[in-house]
Amino acid sequence: MLYDINLKITYAYEAPVSGGRHIVRVLPISLHDRQRLVAGTVTCHPAPEERRENTDFFANPSTMILFRKAHEKLVIRMQARVQVEAQALTADFSPGLAGLPVEIANCWTLDANSPHHFIGPSPRLPDDPGIAAYARDVAEDGMTIRQIALAICERIHKDFVYDPKATTVDTTPREAFKIKRGVCQDFTHVMIVALRSLGIPAGYVSGFLRTIPPAGKERLEGADAMHAWVRLWCGTTSGWMELDPTNNIPAGSDHIVVGHGRDYSDVAPVIGVLKSYGSHKTEQAVDVIPVK
Amino acid sequence: MSKKQTAEAQQTRDRIAGDSVFGYAALPGIADEMLDTQGNVRPVWQHLLTTIGKMDETELANRFARADRYLRDAGVFYRAYGAKDSSERSWPLSHIPVLIADAEWQAVSRGLVQRVELLERIAADIYGSNRLVAEGFLPPSLVASNPEFLRPMVGVQPADGHFLHFCSFEIGRGPDGNWWVLSDRTEAPSGAGFALENRVATTRAFSDVYAETHVHRLAGFFSAFRDELQSRKKHPDDRIAVLTPGVANETYFEHAYIARYLGFMLLEGEDLTVVDGRVMVRTVAGLKSIGVLWRRLDASFADPLELNQSSHIGTPGIVEALRSGSLSIVNSLGSGILETRAFLAFMPTICRHLLGEDLLLPSIATWWCGQQPEREQVAHNIEKMVIGPAYSTRPFFDDNGQSVLGSSLRDTAKASIADWLSTDGAKLVGQEVVTLSTTPAWVNGKLTPRPMSLRVYAARTLNGWKIMPGGFARIGSGADAAAIAMQAGGSAADVWIVSEKPVERTTLLPAEESFTRNMPGSLPSRAADNLFWLGRYIERAEGALRILRAWHGRFAESADPGIPLLKDVTEYLEALDIDTKEPVPASLLANINSALFSASNIRDRFSADGWLALNDLAKTARKFQATVQAGDDATHAMTILLRKLAGFAGLVHENMYRFTGWRFLSIGRYLERGLHMTRLLGHMSGADAPDGAYDMLLEIGDSVMTHRRRYNVNTASLTVTDLLALDPLNPRSILYQLNEIKTEVEQLPNAFSNGQMSPFYREAMRLHAGLAVMTPEAMTVEVYQQLEQDLYRLSDILAQTYLG
Repeated sequence: MLYDINLKITYAYEAPVSGGRHIVRVLPISLHDRQRLVAGTVTCHPAPEERRENTDFFANPSTMILFRKAHEKLVIRMQARVQVEAQALTADFSPGLAGLPVEIANCWTLDANSPHHFIGPSPRLPDDPGIAAYARDVAEDGMTIRQIALAICERIHKDFVYDPKATTVDTTPREAFKIKRGVCQDFTHVMIVALRSLGIPAGYVSGFLRTIPPAGKERLEGADAMHAWVRLWCGTTSGWMELDPTNNIPAGSDHIVVGHGRDYSDVAPVIGVLKSYGSHKTEQAVDVIPVK
Repeated sequence: MSKKQTAEAQQTRDRIAGDSVFGYAALPGIADEMLDTQGNVRPVWQHLLTTIGKMDETELANRFARADRYLRDAGVFYRAYGAKDSSERSWPLSHIPVLIADAEWQAVSRGLVQRVELLERIAADIYGSNRLVAEGFLPPSLVASNPEFLRPMVGVQPADGHFLHFCSFEIGRGPDGNWWVLSDRTEAPSGAGFALENRVATTRAFSDVYAETHVHRLAGFFSAFRDELQSRKKHPDDRIAVLTPGVANETYFEHAYIARYLGFMLLEGEDLTVVDGRVMVRTVAGLKSIGVLWRRLDASFADPLELNQSSHIGTPGIVEALRSGSLSIVNSLGSGILETRAFLAFMPTICRHLLGEDLLLPSIATWWCGQQPEREQVAHNIEKMVIGPAYSTRPFFDDNGQSVLGSSLRDTAKASIADWLSTDGAKLVGQEVVTLSTTPAWVNGKLTPRPMSLRVYAARTLNGWKIMPGGFARIGSGADAAAIAMQAGGSAADVWIVSEKPVERTTLLPAEESFTRNMPGSLPSRAADNLFWLGRYIERAEGALRILRAWHGRFAESADPGIPLLKDVTEYLEALDIDTKEPVPASLLANINSALFSASNIRDRFSADGWLALNDLAKTARKFQATVQAGDDATHAMTILLRKLAGFAGLVHENMYRFTGWRFLSIGRYLERGLHMTRLLGHMSGADAPDGAYDMLLEIGDSVMTHRRRYNVNTASLTVTDLLALDPLNPRSILYQLNEIKTEVEQLPNAFSNGQMSPFYREAMRLHAGLAVMTPEAMTVEVYQQLEQDLYRLSDILAQTYLG
């Protein structure tokens, strides 16, 4: 599929802010036989005094922007054209839980895709006994890693209510798990903690969803803002697979990847440090339109 | 040993029994620093021991008191953390130094130099090509799951090519007499400044022994390190700074001390900003570039944008400055990963692999339980093991009880340990329990063996790595090695490396005949802010004290707070949050504490005397609050507090270098004094002033005598106004304050730009001129009110111009 993506993020500050330094991660990436960025730009209004492009540890492009002059409003726009390939679900070669540790230990590498980065706790995702018990309850003897992951994905989708009012960007997985409500970020965080508790390497994918579904299909949840889903490692042979617990589907050609990380903090669309004395309001508007 | 020496040793032994000094005996099966395995006093200790042995208890007590007094006068403290809060504790010096022979120390130094070079290679590999993982020398999970592994630093080359510049090691001596490395400190090692203070204090107690013994000096080590940092500046104007987490840190005193000792700026994260990839310090003269940062805060807190997003003490953009290569940092961010306890298990193999040789100084034997054979090794030898967290960066005896001693477990618990090892193995290490050596400490009037470990420092210099000849010894509070930690009541001792030949006497003062007179560097805005507010708080306290003293003096005569004058002043004070019902009002104390806090933020700019005087003022005020009664008693108390405050002000006035910092402190005082007098005159000098108001004003303004001399009349509105508002020669008058502010402002950076007065200078001039042309008759309540507003505005402009 070929998509045109438009993103507009607006920050309106109660009081003028200055000295804002941000890192923006909103541009889709090119991934070998998964997706290709044909063209893309990130623009800001007001124009930043400094701007630098970087690639972070997990190979995500990032843009640093700096504002010295006071401003009351910041608009970040991203426009991109992306080619996304459909992901065929291959035969299941993943090992069981007992076989996975050996396969992980045999990965003598620390490159960005090494499963080692995705096993331990990460900044936003400490171990959680409650979620671990939940995961153990789903995983049955004899299941492969892929079967376990699909089962957990389905279970979360069934038990949780999609509710944008229930949580915020700072909600912990423990809180979201307690109220069984939230948005894609919460579904994804809970599922990552669940998988890691079983020893399955799992990470966070930030990206976009196709806005208008193909004829005859239901509109997916999370298409009106940036989306998030889970990436997990199914052993040496199968490698990484992506699951979307918010919609209980494997990520397919409707999912456009912006970045990979251990949790939200690695791939948040905009992080920033600014001197401010008031609150601010954020708005996101997204359009993901297939190109005819 | 010659015959003569043997005979002397025998004599020493003969006198041993029962003596508080010579009765010292090592514990069975444990190595001792002073006694060798045969119980003979090691040669380097002979002189110290015989000297102490000749002293009676009073002399020894006097000598120890000299050392303690030095530490107290120098204000040496550390911060101890309780369950709820933290408090400053005086430095726990163990007065008997630890003496080590030079020849033995050379071997230790060679081992530590090899080790720090190895650590440098490992850091370069982890943040670079990752060959150690790829080739199987380091388990990848130990890096990837390590909280000290900072991913944004991967691939970032240090500006000068080196990851490590200043490290320390915790080493201990085992029962076989050999030294072991207990832990590596590569993140932001603390304590080097305390080693210096230990030295000064200990030589106060034993100046004679020190002079007669060939003890290696410490200064050369620091000057070599300073020279190396200087050489790394890319531009001559670049500054070198010590970056501290701030006053709340347990070793803040040392950060300030080291900065002052080496002549570097002491900065906090908020002093810095990053512009076009360069780190700049905000000073009162604008942004100045920083070339080298010696950080004393943990790496992840250094940059809230790219590292720990919850850090409030960092500087956004530091990582970017490092990426651009414009900043050199000691040590590189992420080097803390080398402290990981589990790494000790892999050091021997990595050393052979990378350096082609064995470790000269062994690490304490360590097994990472993430691997099956090692796990079994630990489980089978549990009696001889201590089990602890694999990612811990502290030695087992100093990790707040996170480690478990295998021998302390009951059999039932041992089974659960095996279970723990198999489920959580990757997070655990087993380490062989080593018994640390003992060294003599003076406990209950007697030399007593106490366990000790040494903290030793290594610095990169222009001639390669250099090991500090000394360091500080951590001495246990009891026989148990676990009590070495200072938070657990342990103490610290100086370490003397004793040579057989005379040693070189370096000091940090330049030896050359010629010298350059360096002007102090630019004043950081935050330091200026603290100085300004210190001035204001001190003056505010003085103002309040003077009014309260006058109030209580009159109250003592009338015993009726309802008489119009007292009622009027009570109302005036209420507006300032001061309650006359409290003899020593809480808000007065809060004011003095604020002054103390401002001063504590800039201790590198303060003499120890000034600091002690201010502390004494605060302590006395606290004491008075609990005891003092209204009336005479309070008048007396206020007089004492005023005298102590004048003592502090006098010390500052007599001793502080007349440069930019002094000007901000002064402007703070003049501004506050001006405000005080303006408010007071505005309130008390109108036509409806209560009886006695003018006399009281003169008393508060310390101008009774002057008034009597200058005006041959009774106190009256016009003469009082003339003297307290408009007299340019009265140091309490408003005009005097404005005149002084104007004079100071002229000397500030950027008072003029392109021949134009700065807004602050212009405003100061305008206020001064406006008041200078006034007559006493024209000084109405409205004029005072306007002036008060103007003074507040002047303070705001100052803040915008210099303190932002």
